[in-house]
Amino acid sequence: MSFVKLLKTPILLLLFCAVMLSCVKGVDLDQTEEIALTPDLQVSLLVFDVTSVDFIDKDTGEFTAIIRDTVRLEFLDDSYIQDDLSTVEFSFRYTNSFPQSFRNKISFLSENDRVQHFLQFDIAQGEKVNPVVTDWVEFIENERIDVIKRSIQMVVEIEVIPNENPFEGELKFESKGLFSFEF
Amino acid sequence: MRPYFSFAIILFGILISQAQNKQLLYNVNGLPQSLLNNPGANVNFDGHIGVPLFSKFHISTGSSGVNLFDIFDETNVDVNKKVSAAIRRLTRNDYFTLHQQLEILSFGWRLNNGQYLSAGVYQEMDMFAYFPKDPALLVNEGNNAYLNVPFDFSDVSFTGEIMTVYHLGINKRISNKLTVGARGKLYSGIFNVASTNNSGRFITRDDPNSPNFYRHYAENIDIRVNTSGYASLNNSGMTVQESTADLLKRSFFGGNIGAGIDLGATYNLADNLRITGSVLDIGIMFQQHDVENYLYYGDYETDGIEPLFPDVAPNDNTIPYWDLFEDEVDKNLKDETVNENYTTWRPVKFNAALEFGFEEMVEICDYRRTYKRRNYNLIGVHLFGVKRPRTMNYALTTYYDRKFSNNFRAKISYTVDDFSYYNIGLLVSTKIKKFNFYIAADNLAGYFNLAKSQSASLQLGMQFIFKKQ
Repeated sequence: MSFVKLLKTPILLLLFCAVMLSCVKGVDLDQTEEIALTPDLQVSLLVFDVTSVDFIDKDTGEFTAIIRDTVRLEFLDDSYIQDDLSTVEFSFRYTNSFPQSFRNKISFLSENDRVQHFLQFDIAQGEKVNPVVTDWVEFIENERIDVIKRSIQMVVEIEVIPNENPFEGELKFESKGLFSFEF
Repeated sequence: MRPYFSFAIILFGILISQAQNKQLLYNVNGLPQSLLNNPGANVNFDGHIGVPLFSKFHISTGSSGVNLFDIFDETNVDVNKKVSAAIRRLTRNDYFTLHQQLEILSFGWRLNNGQYLSAGVYQEMDMFAYFPKDPALLVNEGNNAYLNVPFDFSDVSFTGEIMTVYHLGINKRISNKLTVGARGKLYSGIFNVASTNNSGRFITRDDPNSPNFYRHYAENIDIRVNTSGYASLNNSGMTVQESTADLLKRSFFGGNIGAGIDLGATYNLADNLRITGSVLDIGIMFQQHDVENYLYYGDYETDGIEPLFPDVAPNDNTIPYWDLFEDEVDKNLKDETVNENYTTWRPVKFNAALEFGFEEMVEICDYRRTYKRRNYNLIGVHLFGVKRPRTMNYALTTYYDRKFSNNFRAKISYTVDDFSYYNIGLLVSTKIKKFNFYIAADNLAGYFNLAKSQSASLQLGMQFIFKKQ
């Protein structure tokens, strides 16, 4: 019986100590404030394929050197963009089989149509059997990211640079955005 | 003995996990709680009554793949790198559990025919979630580094329930060798959430044949989250008092109900060798009140928005490309909230153990008592399993159980599970006259620094246990 008494108290104490004096060591829970999710999302934006037909005015039936279209990108107004977007890298690619070059203008407009960001580059002249690719990368760093946050419309304008060659071919446009967030 | 050792070795060969394992209380025949783990246990007492709300409190938590130290190690300051590393290292079969039981009432008595009746009420919470590997990767890293790699939404799988359980069990000795038992249970659901059998993939492909840089695919999306007992609390604007009253009402069959059964048996192979087994919570819940189901399903693929040049429709209005795009998405990827009844199965558990006793003891003979502990020392091996949405999770325990005196008993266990290969547990049970107190803790090494522990479990309680002399 004395043996039992001898053991009983230490075992109970051991268990109580283990449970009651349990602790959390070697960790810095303040680091929770620094936890951030930083996804990089590749998102397809606009895509189109124009031919010479698209340069014919639908109302007059006459050739027009400039065509443009506007697309609202409503997601730019969403809270995850407004609050957490840190950088954007836009990539644009034209594949041109027209024997003409083009001037391309891309504008990002605010709700009241004010230009927030603008870029322009020339699309290289191509060949019918050998289309030429023109790539353009536009990086909007964190210091300038508000120009995208203020934008809601993307306007693409294409102007053909005429020459003596027949105006026949195809102009393909690809675009994407690499949106980097810090949630 | 050779067959028994072979049996033990085979069991050891199974690398396994635990979830609601209560290995320290299993086969502890001096405690009424052993009847909750095996209604066919050989109990050696003649009556018991628990101290209301204090007869059993159990809480266990576990994470099979990550612990606090992995994320918040103070010597490594870049917490986001650690989070990313953890997300990459964890698999879709890693899981997190939180289980809690509080016995409200517990009592039992031996009938004149020798059978032992036990009954009671306990509240139980069980939360289980697999690590949603692919969605977590998508949220944390995005799709940029995972082009052409599908994000699989079947990784999302979780269940959770809070309920009150009313139970009545009977324990009957069939012969000197065999004791069987059964326990009927009525479940009164307080809260349930279940999202299992989800499917669907999101892929971003850079197929050179597609018209844009990337084509995004949402394929076979079929995600469903069933809830009961959630919508009214979430939407009603009830005060805390009203919510509390509502929860209490649900505890008394004012919400969703279900029924289940436990079965168990003990077979004495010899005076000092026995096998025990039980199947617990073969039960079903009918979720019919306060049900809300959230569904997201469909297929969609897109290359982006395609402007038509010029930007006016035939009626001279600007073409609302974005609205058309959203309509297209909404038409193909449905997002619905419905109210459809559903049923859930309780996470069924099984226990199986082989126990060997040595160092004989003498105890007063009573023919009505089904079990006389004949040995001061017991060693055993115990296999536990619980059904989870994807598979059974197992735990394997070996233990040494020592009765030091009529009033003091201790059990030490070693468990191999998904959380640890070093899980040492200890139970002590002591009596002062009829009053019994017990405490059991798992993974004791983990208590010295819980940050490095992937699981912790604690059980304690107090009650009055009566034995006829």
